[in-house]
Amino acid sequence: MAAKLNRRQFLIRSGMAGAGALSLPALLAACGGDDGGGGNSLFFENWPEYIDSETVALFAKASGVKFKYTDAYNDNNEYFAKVQPLLAKGEKIKADVIAPTFWMASRFVQLGWAQKLPVNKIPNMANLRDDLKGQPWDKDQEYNLPWQTGVAGIAYNVKETGRELGSVEDLFDPAFKGKIGMLTEMRDTMGLVLMGLGKNISQISTFDDAVEAFDKVEKAKNDGQIRAFTGNEYLKPLSAGDFAACVGWSGDVLQLGKDNPNVKFIIPEEGGTSWFDTMIWVTGSENGDAVAKWMDYCYDPVNAARITASVQYMSPVKGVQEELVKLGGEAAALADNPLLFPDEATVARLQSWGALSEEEEAKFDEAFAAITGA
Amino acid sequence: MNATARLATVASRPERVGLGVMLALSIGAIALGAGWVEGPSAAVVAGAMLASVVGLVLVAFVGGLETRRALAPYGLLKPGILWLSLFFLAPLWSMVVMSLSSKESRFDFFPSFTWEWGNYRTALTDFRPQFLRSFGYAAVATVLTILVGFPLAYVIAFRGGKYRNVLLGLVVVPFFTSYLIRTLAWGNILADEGPVVSFIDSLGLTGVLESLNIMDNGKLLNTPAAVIGGLTYNFLPFMVLPIYVSLEKIDPRLVDAAMDLYSSASAAFRKIVVPLALPGIFAGSLLVFIPAAGDFVNAQFLGNPQTTMIGNSIQDQFLRQLNYPVASAMSFVLMFIITIAVLVYTKFMGTEDLA
Amino acid sequence: MTAFSRRQRIGQRVVNAVAGLGLFYIFLPILVIVIFSFNAPKGKYNIKWQGFTLDNWANPFTESALTSALWVSLRIALISTFCATILGSLIALALSRYKFKGSGGINLFLVLPLTSPEVVLGSSLATLFLNRGVNFGYVTVIIAHIMFQISFVAVTVRARIRGFDWTLEQAAMDLGATPSRAFWKITFPLILPGILAAALLSFALSIDDFIITFFNAGSLVTFPLQIFGASRVKIPPQINVLATMLLVASVSLMVAGTVLGNRRQRKLTGN
Repeated sequence: MAAKLNRRQFLIRSGMAGAGALSLPALLAACGGDDGGGGNSLFFENWPEYIDSETVALFAKASGVKFKYTDAYNDNNEYFAKVQPLLAKGEKIKADVIAPTFWMASRFVQLGWAQKLPVNKIPNMANLRDDLKGQPWDKDQEYNLPWQTGVAGIAYNVKETGRELGSVEDLFDPAFKGKIGMLTEMRDTMGLVLMGLGKNISQISTFDDAVEAFDKVEKAKNDGQIRAFTGNEYLKPLSAGDFAACVGWSGDVLQLGKDNPNVKFIIPEEGGTSWFDTMIWVTGSENGDAVAKWMDYCYDPVNAARITASVQYMSPVKGVQEELVKLGGEAAALADNPLLFPDEATVARLQSWGALSEEEEAKFDEAFAAITGA
Repeated sequence: MNATARLATVASRPERVGLGVMLALSIGAIALGAGWVEGPSAAVVAGAMLASVVGLVLVAFVGGLETRRALAPYGLLKPGILWLSLFFLAPLWSMVVMSLSSKESRFDFFPSFTWEWGNYRTALTDFRPQFLRSFGYAAVATVLTILVGFPLAYVIAFRGGKYRNVLLGLVVVPFFTSYLIRTLAWGNILADEGPVVSFIDSLGLTGVLESLNIMDNGKLLNTPAAVIGGLTYNFLPFMVLPIYVSLEKIDPRLVDAAMDLYSSASAAFRKIVVPLALPGIFAGSLLVFIPAAGDFVNAQFLGNPQTTMIGNSIQDQFLRQLNYPVASAMSFVLMFIITIAVLVYTKFMGTEDLA
Repeated sequence: MTAFSRRQRIGQRVVNAVAGLGLFYIFLPILVIVIFSFNAPKGKYNIKWQGFTLDNWANPFTESALTSALWVSLRIALISTFCATILGSLIALALSRYKFKGSGGINLFLVLPLTSPEVVLGSSLATLFLNRGVNFGYVTVIIAHIMFQISFVAVTVRARIRGFDWTLEQAAMDLGATPSRAFWKITFPLILPGILAAALLSFALSIDDFIITFFNAGSLVTFPLQIFGASRVKIPPQINVLATMLLVASVSLMVAGTVLGNRRQRKLTGN
């Protein structure tokens, strides 16, 4: 006797399953979204370990802004790739403020993805360090407000190296074969190598000017000198002793040095690259008032000092040094740290990259990607 | 199965209708997903799909018992197959189209289709080392999983007794922890100051391992060996389980019988157990080799700039360099080579044994 | 049982030892993970054993980004597993119960997503979404997960119900039951354990999925994505704690499932 397949069974099987399974994702799509804010909320997506533990709560309380702070910004290019699909179509992303590195901020501005800051609502903007004002891509200081500035230099684990380091050439010392790390941040890694070769990176505008450095790093990689090209993750191997030395960022390494006294940071004698991460207000965000309040809050030297005491980078705000002394204790010691408040001699050793045209930047990035092996 | 059921295996008219409609719906789904049709034509296609479903249901009612019975499986299959057509096949088409497109400028977000075969040239020349390396590492890892997994499966199948399921569970359970965390843990275990390196140093084996190219200048981490070790570890259950399934089917009395006939244990093993385990080994090899070849996590956490695999490159080109066309070309080449392997396998073994 | 010579017995012991080592090898990282969840690391990375502490287990949810990512993963897994189990089980049912034209092709088709490298699946799906202008987020991730889970569920359930005796349904109908009743009262309870087991396994697959999700999540952060991103800067012991919790939960569910399933099977079929 054949199995009778009556209508109900047929319908039930095909229909129920199809409808149920296909409609659920749509229903739950609504679950995932959250509202845009309504003017008094702020979503700041920042780099990891880039703020102290109190400022977020203090600001929210003082200003009444609904403040959401995350540290999901791990890499400039990765973040750009994530938001490009939305911004290129003219849609908005969830973040109101982000703090890309200066060259990425410049790209955002050029692509029209940054809004003009409500400057008249940010009186404390006057506290911006003079050397950071008027970038070539934002001459009138309308689009960006720096978050932190720092230096890329050499970080080393004295237990592994057995000696103190002083020059970019130490990174190529065969004694450290296979224990050297370099950053995936092209400008910082190549900047150091170029300075080691005696060049001035602010004068570099074409790839041909820099090709010598690229060849040098490629050779080092092929010789097995370089163990890894890392983003923020150089801190772990440095601490564990897997890296004897690496290119690193001043604040991170100073923070690490607190936990592991073997880890030190130096600006090489040939020089170090100076860079800054800067806050921009992303297109499509409607929370201008909250953005202004936040930026104004950050540029109050008292608050800036609190942040600096934790992240140990160079603050872009004037007057932080005095505030740090007032805080006393460990913070006061930072006021004397030449990596946070460099004297003139140190400043003279710092160089920063000029602007690269889209074409040249593409050549740099391509060549660098080929070396980092990706 | 009785006679009426057997009749249904002959390609009857309702069957052809059912199969035809299912294929048409799949193609419709792909067309909509891959963008073969836009705007009003898309609405037409969607309408046609809906109409054919409705028509099929009508036919099912109007037709007799046999029709319904013949059409039933297609009805059951439709939702799932549609989903897969839309989200597995259509994307492959999108990938092919993207692989032949090019971007006008660096931040051009909408690459246009320009029959850009140069992408394939780039994929095959610039990334040749990564391709070869990936297949090489995956092959070595596969062999290692056989060497480690076979004894394990053998012992569980033949000596497990009533603890078989428990032992199998033990093999599988560790893989319920996060893949990333497991790999990070290996990073800790193999670190320069970690237990394994210290152990090897204390035994004085560093020199030996260095000459075998396993260790590099006293390091175990960030070497090809570490990457291959990670691949082996992470894909081990995919080898153990299929081998176990094959071995379990072997009647142990066969081995006894062989030995009664004066065969030695090792010959009995070679001539009886191994050939019967081969289907499992084949299935396991594919289940290990294929994902291993495309993996990038192990190379990222355990490797160095000279051990990057094709997965790392695809990920980098797609998510950081935003070079969708070249990334798609690379994916296609990878997929193509692997699909050939899968087809050869299916020809050889048949898909029934995979599960 | 044939008597084994001494040489054969040594050989057996060697094989046992190798298998034992293999099992140890499998458990080694897990032991490290669990043990280090009790560590009190001085720095940001959980590498060196510093001291035993129960603090991490007392406060497993202090890392808010990690916890919310876990919550995101759980939600996604619940929804996608539900849908995929239904769709996949239907396919498995069709393939095992009926013989029809095209079943060989369907078999092959089902296996393809399982044997394609995840990079290809992830990047091609992302390309589709990019082309069609679909924004990345919850929906795209759920769609991606359902896609590979359907294949997995279908293949697993089919294997589980392969030995099923379909004549039971006929017997029921001979005794007067309607086909629908026969299915729901007889067949369904017997194949349910297989379906649930497949659902459980694919749930675990969804929570742990990294590569496909990486390409299709956009700004959404799932548990594996959070680990990947955050692990560059710090590896708090809470990661170990949460991973151990997930492990214990999955194992308990599987054990409970098997025990209940066996008991039910025995009740229904009387073996």
